[in-house]
Amino acid sequence: MPETLTDTLLRVEGLKLHYRTRNGVVRAVDDVSFDIRRNEAVVVLGESGCGKSSLAKALLRIPPRNTQECSGKVWLNGTDIMGMNEEKFRKEVRWSEISMVMQAAMNALNPVVRVGEQVAEPLCLHRGWSSERALKHAAGIFSLVGIPNDFMRRYPFELSGGMRQRAVLAMALVTEPSLVILDEPTSALDVLTQANIMNVLKRIKREMGTSFILITHDVSTSSEIADRVALMYAGQLVEFSNADDFFRNPAHPYSRLLMASVPRLRQVIRPEHIPGQPPSMLSVPEGCRFADRCPSRFERCVKNPDLLKINGDREVRCWLYEKGLKS
Amino acid sequence: MSGGGTSGNIRRVLVFTLARLAALFVTVVIGVYLTIVIAHGGGELDDLRKAQIRSEISEAFAMDDEFRDLTPEERNKLIQTEIEREETRLRLDEPFIYRSADYLWQAINLNLGHSEQMHSDGGSRRVYHIIGERLPATLLLFGTANLLVFFSSIFFALFLSRRYGSRLDRSVVALAPTSAAPGWFYGIFLILVFAFLIPVLPSGGMVAAPPPVTTAAYALSVLKHMLLPVAAMFISSIFISIYSWRTFFLIYSSEDYVEMARAKGLPPRMIERRYILRPTLPPILTSFALMLIGLWGGAIILEQVFNWPGLGTLMFEAIGHRDTPVIIGAVVIFAYLLAITVFLLDIMYAILDPRVRLEGGKHS
Repeated sequence: MPETLTDTLLRVEGLKLHYRTRNGVVRAVDDVSFDIRRNEAVVVLGESGCGKSSLAKALLRIPPRNTQECSGKVWLNGTDIMGMNEEKFRKEVRWSEISMVMQAAMNALNPVVRVGEQVAEPLCLHRGWSSERALKHAAGIFSLVGIPNDFMRRYPFELSGGMRQRAVLAMALVTEPSLVILDEPTSALDVLTQANIMNVLKRIKREMGTSFILITHDVSTSSEIADRVALMYAGQLVEFSNADDFFRNPAHPYSRLLMASVPRLRQVIRPEHIPGQPPSMLSVPEGCRFADRCPSRFERCVKNPDLLKINGDREVRCWLYEKGLKS
Repeated sequence: MSGGGTSGNIRRVLVFTLARLAALFVTVVIGVYLTIVIAHGGGELDDLRKAQIRSEISEAFAMDDEFRDLTPEERNKLIQTEIEREETRLRLDEPFIYRSADYLWQAINLNLGHSEQMHSDGGSRRVYHIIGERLPATLLLFGTANLLVFFSSIFFALFLSRRYGSRLDRSVVALAPTSAAPGWFYGIFLILVFAFLIPVLPSGGMVAAPPPVTTAAYALSVLKHMLLPVAAMFISSIFISIYSWRTFFLIYSSEDYVEMARAKGLPPRMIERRYILRPTLPPILTSFALMLIGLWGGAIILEQVFNWPGLGTLMFEAIGHRDTPVIIGAVVIFAYLLAITVFLLDIMYAILDPRVRLEGGKHS
């Protein structure tokens, strides 16, 4: 049972999202557990196809049509939200508590509705506000994310990519939810706009006390805002650590290789690539899922380890950290 | 940019509208002229018609007792004058190319003239009357059937797109090939079952003979006669129509903004209205408008099977009689209807979809 810690906002246990495909079942999210505190930014890192976006979809309960299984326990402020019926979840959780910036933010706006109306829409819906009041409130959010207010009357196709991204961000913030899930919010943008949006996020976190789940594969950008880092590999978490620990002293062999692959500005260190490829999600190996590519592989690795606690609050899925093996 | 001066905007809209109208008009003129040339066999039909006139007049003279006493020379001379008079009346003595220009002018002015052989039930030979008499019957039958198919298939398709992969969905997909058979094919079976095996409905026609006197009884009789042909058309097109609209909605309901709307916690009805139907309104409207003008012309075989006095039958007869004014008249009206529909669609598109800009891409 979840202990209702005052600073725990979201607690996830055994979350699963499996897809049915022509070739078999893809276990995109396979037994993921973690928790998020209030006013905390958790960065979910991982290669393409490791299940990051599926994790976001499972949390908002918007699985795609070919879903075979979407299960697990999720508590928000101590309330079980996975057990809620669809209608209650829609009204009480979606956007009022958890909102999301989708990966394809460029295409996340209805092409035939003015941007302002789309941003204000959740207010009318969840708070029953009149559209004037909602639009007025939305104008404030537009300023916050750095969109000129007269853009509210425009249609999505009249906005540049960066502006559209901001509009989607404004939409996610407009109801002041306690948790915002950002799925690759900056990956399609140029570096200046990226930096700009990261600054907006930091400001919102500071001023509104919002928690963030930032899903990305961009290690450098994510380090800007991360309080903690969750690293995913083949549908599972392999490390969950404080950002400082993770970036300075990654624990899992995969984390270490990942950090070594990040290019640094004007340094002679050559970024390393990790040989091999993630296992096919259709037939994940019995043992440790990273074993094939792992330089520290040993006989224990034929079994998949659980997440092991190290140094108090770090969690690592690796036999190297089994008690007695490594201090 | 959506901005710009208001007066400038009005001028732009006006210029656009006029240019569009001009383009459509040119299309109509070309279409009608081609019809005129084809319906006259590119002028080849003239020889046929001349021979026909000659044989008809000779026969008339041969049958007439009044000319029995004349010598063959005298009779031939009379016949020749009569033939020349008839040819002049039908302007067969002029080259076809000159006449075709005149025909075009008349057709464009909707001056449809008189038929050559056919006449309306009321006895009129004016093409207007002939077509006007058949039009209501066709519109009633095909309008009812097509509107029924259109709206029920859209409604049902939306319903199915929500239940993708369900048993109901799969059975509709499996039933789609039933539309390979045309309406008249099902019509024959319907007549067999409901008019002969279980004689509850009339096998053909539009109203009982003699027609009922009171309006209510008349309407009821027409309704009874309509039931089988409407059912035949409905059966033959409903499944393919549902199937294609369902696929259409499935494609549009996997757009990112629809998923976003779901994540936003919008109720399913609202997602359907605002995020699926609203952005797809232009193609739906196009298909609706084209369906409406498709009513014009009816369906030849179905009308024959049900003995329905509509335009399909009329066109069939007109082609059989080589009655060019009737054929051309029908085509001219159809061309105008099509042009007007396309023009209205252009305007509707600009209103419904903000992305459709007047100059086509001259925005920021």
